[in-house]
Amino acid sequence: MEAPTQPLLRLRDLSTDIALRRGTVHALDKVNLEVRQGETLGVVGESGSGKTMTVLSVMGLLPSGGQVVGGEILFDGRDLRRLEAKELRRVRGVEMGMVFQDPLTSLNPTMRIGAQVAEPLRVHQGVSKAEARDRAIEILRRVGMPRPDKIVDDYPHQLSGGMRQRVVIAMALIRSPRLLIADEPTTALDVTTQRQILELIDDLREEFKMAVILVTHDLGVIAGRADRVAVMYAGRVVETGTTADLFRAPRHRYTEALMRALPESAAEGRLYSIPGLPPDLSRPLTGCRFAPRCQFATDECRTGDVLLTLDAAGNGHEFACLHPVAEPVAITASAPVAETAAKASEPLLTVRDLVKEYDAGGSGMRKTAGRVSAVAGVSFEVKAGETLGIVGESGCGKSTVGRVVAGLEPATAGQIIVDGQDIATLDRRARHHMHRQVQLMFQDSYAAMNPRMRIDSILTEPLEIQQVGDAAARRARVSELLDQVGLPRRALERYPHEFSGGQLQRIGLARSLALNPRLIVADEPVSALDVSVQAQVLNLMRDLQHELGLSYVFISHDLSVVDYMADRIGVMYLGKLVEVGPASQVVRAARHPYTQALLDAVPSPDPDRAPAPDTTIRGELPSALNPPTGCRFRTRCPLAQDICATEPPLQGGTHQVACHFPLRQEPAQETSAA
Amino acid sequence: MTRYLLTRLGQALVIVILVTLITFLILHVLPGGAARAILGKEATLEQIAAFNHEMGYDRPLWEQYALYLQRLVHGDLGYSFQLNQSVAEAIAQRLPKTMVMSLASTVLAVVVAVPLGVVQAVRRNRWPDYTINALSLLAYATPIFFMGLMMIILFSQVWAVLPPEAPQGFTLGEVLADPAGLVLPVVTLAILTVAVYSRYIRSSMVDNLNENYVRTARSKGLSEGRVIVGHTLRNGLFPVITLLGMYLPALFSGALVVERLFNYPGMGLLFWQAALKRDYPILLGVTLLISVATVLGALVADVLYAAVDPRVRLKAGRS
Repeated sequence: MEAPTQPLLRLRDLSTDIALRRGTVHALDKVNLEVRQGETLGVVGESGSGKTMTVLSVMGLLPSGGQVVGGEILFDGRDLRRLEAKELRRVRGVEMGMVFQDPLTSLNPTMRIGAQVAEPLRVHQGVSKAEARDRAIEILRRVGMPRPDKIVDDYPHQLSGGMRQRVVIAMALIRSPRLLIADEPTTALDVTTQRQILELIDDLREEFKMAVILVTHDLGVIAGRADRVAVMYAGRVVETGTTADLFRAPRHRYTEALMRALPESAAEGRLYSIPGLPPDLSRPLTGCRFAPRCQFATDECRTGDVLLTLDAAGNGHEFACLHPVAEPVAITASAPVAETAAKASEPLLTVRDLVKEYDAGGSGMRKTAGRVSAVAGVSFEVKAGETLGIVGESGCGKSTVGRVVAGLEPATAGQIIVDGQDIATLDRRARHHMHRQVQLMFQDSYAAMNPRMRIDSILTEPLEIQQVGDAAARRARVSELLDQVGLPRRALERYPHEFSGGQLQRIGLARSLALNPRLIVADEPVSALDVSVQAQVLNLMRDLQHELGLSYVFISHDLSVVDYMADRIGVMYLGKLVEVGPASQVVRAARHPYTQALLDAVPSPDPDRAPAPDTTIRGELPSALNPPTGCRFRTRCPLAQDICATEPPLQGGTHQVACHFPLRQEPAQETSAA
Repeated sequence: MTRYLLTRLGQALVIVILVTLITFLILHVLPGGAARAILGKEATLEQIAAFNHEMGYDRPLWEQYALYLQRLVHGDLGYSFQLNQSVAEAIAQRLPKTMVMSLASTVLAVVVAVPLGVVQAVRRNRWPDYTINALSLLAYATPIFFMGLMMIILFSQVWAVLPPEAPQGFTLGEVLADPAGLVLPVVTLAILTVAVYSRYIRSSMVDNLNENYVRTARSKGLSEGRVIVGHTLRNGLFPVITLLGMYLPALFSGALVVERLFNYPGMGLLFWQAALKRDYPILLGVTLLISVATVLGALVADVLYAAVDPRVRLKAGRS
């Protein structure tokens, strides 16, 4: 792409403050960025780094209390801060377009899709109603919306998340913007949908010759899509460069630490984690803002202001670090982590033909409105000391399996055998006791804790319910738990809202450990966390597993996390287990076409990795109210044939697959071992 | 939709019948009885017994209730000896007047409260918000008879522009012929309603203005007015539907204090006088009417909700 000399958007020393009741947060401090026409700039950083504030400042959409306090926002040579309100609105509505993070809430729930999509045309170009509708249909078709002439008259709640994001993109594109800003456009979506959306943005950029700013916390998304990358930390850009340069040879210590914290780059079974927390931006800061967490920091870093400087290599690579990384960091597709060998022959947990169905909100008078088949005949085993990872996209039933295993919900049919005992046959008392063996850890620990209970009550509660020990013994146990998860004792007197996401996850883990369980069902335990904090929690979970001989059922949508944590992985699709086997085999030699499609859709943080062949599955997950007969994946499977209308059994030795046309045969020695 | 309506109407019928039963029982358990109330303190026991027999008050309660229901089905609400007219007639005489006053005050209240609430939400935590908030709290806290008195003193004594009394006409036409007389009672009633509504609208608009879809609308370069009127207002007004549904019974029952203060013979006064005189047929009739209005109000609110909010789908059998 011929790069025009003048950047389309240029931020010069942009500073933004947010006034809060308890003081002013200096969200951005002298941010410098530029993006050219036809180019994708990736902005990456953890929560609170200011990446979203940067784009909101450009769009003039800062939250209440937010204000740009310094610098210039040069769009096509004009400073947006100096424009009149009316002209600014025109620029915002015609020349720029924005795609937001959460497609579920970013559409007006009571306005028809067509009216929302075409609104910029109606407002800025005075297009007639009929023409606006036609243009809306046209652009919806362009963003890959099925039946756009129908959808145009629908309301947002009638569409799935992926479809709604397409609507938001269509809304941004209908004005043929010169700059498209996408703020975490795929964070709320499943990987296969994410891939479709990212590809769509790529295609459209070429077609419309737009500049794109792609804001994300996901290094993998950036690596595959951006031409240049800016890394932000604590309200500043700490490093920028071309994607290839920056990923191959990051220079800033923070960038390096971020990459090393990825589960993909785990070496010797432990993730690198960044100690400490990002600084409080409401206080004045001197020196390099990463210095307190950086192991290379010297006095020089802490006192003087560290500015972005050009790399001597002359490749336009800039970084603000006094002790830059000298040698390239390798994000290799790491050697498979040595699986914690599960020696025990007896399985701790056996799930046999588990079925869970829900009534589909039928009327009270007519009960047969339909049954949602959430889990349809799933069988697996977990041995003592082993981690079984369960992956799948939203709606596949993985969380339901977790809840049923943990005894939160009864199974519709099938057996759950914990330590040789079928839970269904237990009387109330024995089942009560069984809960000591199996505990649950939640995705959103804050939501899973009573906000009015102090941490000591939260941790003591399971002991009280199970009548373990006396008050003194419980106190001792709670202190021990805090030590185990690495939190200070004084945490006991505080309330959940006083903790950060990572700390809450530790408390959640402590609570599930309170009763000395043998199995912990962890449902998306790290998906709400930043990469560096995720690494801390994952390390902790592994350490405790070794120490206490725990088994985990680790439920996640994130294949790289599951690959890092699990000994064995089960892949679920629409209530069925389609593949289960040793983690390294499932991830590196998948047998089910769905597993392969999932793997191909995961964006890799290695920019050199050849783009995956286009095996991506298209379309949407069928309804579990009326699932396809036979193999449930056949409606989206590239290999489907007539025989797939009969259900394939889950078969094989240690690496089982439920498919009539498995992609690979199992290695011979594995079968004989079974 | 039809199915939903039928189910809901069925439920409404059950509720109304229960209400009549409960009212019926309570009224008959009360000491004194209708005979004493009508015949006076001097009446002998024989006279009372004769009266009770004539009226059927000496029969078992369930029988009386069954008779009452039977008459009700035929549209007969009963006869009030004290007013010397049928209950239906008494209600028909006063209901239109009450409805004129209540409707006028509700319309006025909504027309005033919506812009106030919107201005408060848009200028949240700034002086317009604080000012309106203080005034509405004041209005909310002032007893309505005091408010009415102040209105009379201010606008018909100190500054004599309006009559202190509501129109005294017997028919609706006569009442409407004297609109000036309606102003004070209507405004007095509306002030309280404005205070309640504007608070609901403010909080609902604040919630909606913080929604992500508003940010999306702004990203299209819409002017602030367009964002508020075109996107937020409709969603912000949903609570008003619920409020109006809850207000429907008041439309029928009238506002006792205001009616008394301005001497406006509406439903409120009718009910109050009946209660004092133990005029059972009137009490039963009015209670029945209000309970019908209450269940209808809830139903109308739900149906309206479904009409304006595409996310709401009416399903039969849901309570």
